Amino acid sequence: METRLGSVLLAALLLSGCGWFHRGDKSSNQVVVEDPQGEPSIVEPQVNRREVKVPKVKSKDFELGAYFGALSIQDFGTNPLYGVRAAYHVSEDMFVEGFVARSKGGQTSLEDVFPDISVTSNAGREFTYYDLDLGYNVLPGEIFLGRGRAFNSQLYVTVGMGDVKFAEQDHFALNLGVGERLVITDWLAVHLDVRDHIFETDLTGRAKNVDNIEATLGLTTFF
Amino acid sequence: MRRPLGLLLLLMAFAVTPVHARERLLEVVVTDPFVEMHSGPGRGYPVVYVVGRDETVTVLFSRTDWYKVRAPRGQEGWVRRTDLARTVLPSGQPAPIPPYPDFPTHRWEIGAGYGVFNHENLVTAYADFGLTDSLDAEAVVEQAFGNIDNRYLATIGLRHTFIPEWKWFSPTAGLGFGYQYIDNKSPPQPLQRENQMAYVSLGIRGFITQRFMWRADWRKYDIFTNQNQTEEPEEWKLGLAVFF
Repeated sequence: METRLGSVLLAALLLSGCGWFHRGDKSSNQVVVEDPQGEPSIVEPQVNRREVKVPKVKSKDFELGAYFGALSIQDFGTNPLYGVRAAYHVSEDMFVEGFVARSKGGQTSLEDVFPDISVTSNAGREFTYYDLDLGYNVLPGEIFLGRGRAFNSQLYVTVGMGDVKFAEQDHFALNLGVGERLVITDWLAVHLDVRDHIFETDLTGRAKNVDNIEATLGLTTFF
Repeated sequence: MRRPLGLLLLLMAFAVTPVHARERLLEVVVTDPFVEMHSGPGRGYPVVYVVGRDETVTVLFSRTDWYKVRAPRGQEGWVRRTDLARTVLPSGQPAPIPPYPDFPTHRWEIGAGYGVFNHENLVTAYADFGLTDSLDAEAVVEQAFGNIDNRYLATIGLRHTFIPEWKWFSPTAGLGFGYQYIDNKSPPQPLQRENQMAYVSLGIRGFITQRFMWRADWRKYDIFTNQNQTEEPEEWKLGLAVFF
């Protein structure tokens, strides 16, 4: 079998050889192709390539949480307040934060003295607000609890604006605040805040700016 | 009493372990003579540990410009982005620490601002996505606090930045359409509570520092009503934005 194949090949080569001599290396290519026993000349490695995936580093720049406390609505007494907050930390100094909260005003002194008078309806005593704030960590530091425990903390100031809906009217409100963030773990923080919502209203007769100061305690999670 | 507690602990261990097993953390090798680890993510926090050259640290997560890392013997601390960017992977390639977002190449902006809409106070918030270097798509929500009415506006539009290479000050122009809802404060009721509208805008935008930028915009609206006239309020606003 081998000799027969060999002689066939040789004959083919001889028959066509004269013409191919002048074609340079093309002839040798042709021979290899025609060789039935030709093994693949390139060795293919049988090793599977390993896909190396580099793990991504997660960022924890967002903070989301809830807070509750007391809101002093000017002329309407101090009442419980509860709300939610979300923040994004832009740099080690600056952050942007949004708040949504609600409370309910009580009776004014006027209404206490003259029970027949009503400044606003019962539904109108609902106090809801949203705020968009810019915050600055003025005093970053650490708080020591006992001998072996330290928590990072930041005293921050915020300034912003938003809407206060009170007495069934929307008011453009300015906010000024100061707060303390106590970072308990990598993902949990406690906040203590005092904020003032300032807006103009003519609810009690003449137009005036009212200060509505809240003191709150909040819990947030970083993600 | 003891058995349920043990069972609970076992369950918790099972609940927690797979998550940790799946979560692979980035490991990098220090190439600088040393890297300082701070006790908190800020320039003022004291250095609590130092990792030497050729030591491997595990990167846990990042917060703003700082990365929380774990040293080979378990100490944890915060390393500045620029320090961590000079480390390498165990394979020798540079560590995949993304650079600080760059203003000329940013894609996203999120911002808020104050404005005046028809002599009324205005609160505005927006998100903006860069389609090309000079063309952006933006979505804006606004609330205008009038004496007799309270309006909510939502618009989407395109904004062109004329000379995007001017970092500090570059003029913009835009147009788009939107929707307004009027929430009346006092009678009489508006003839229409909801309207469609279109706007043209001119503005300026510029870089401030770090990841902040400012914007000032003027807009002219055409509010389509079912009366024979269109309302054409003007709006001025100044905003602060963060870019990504």
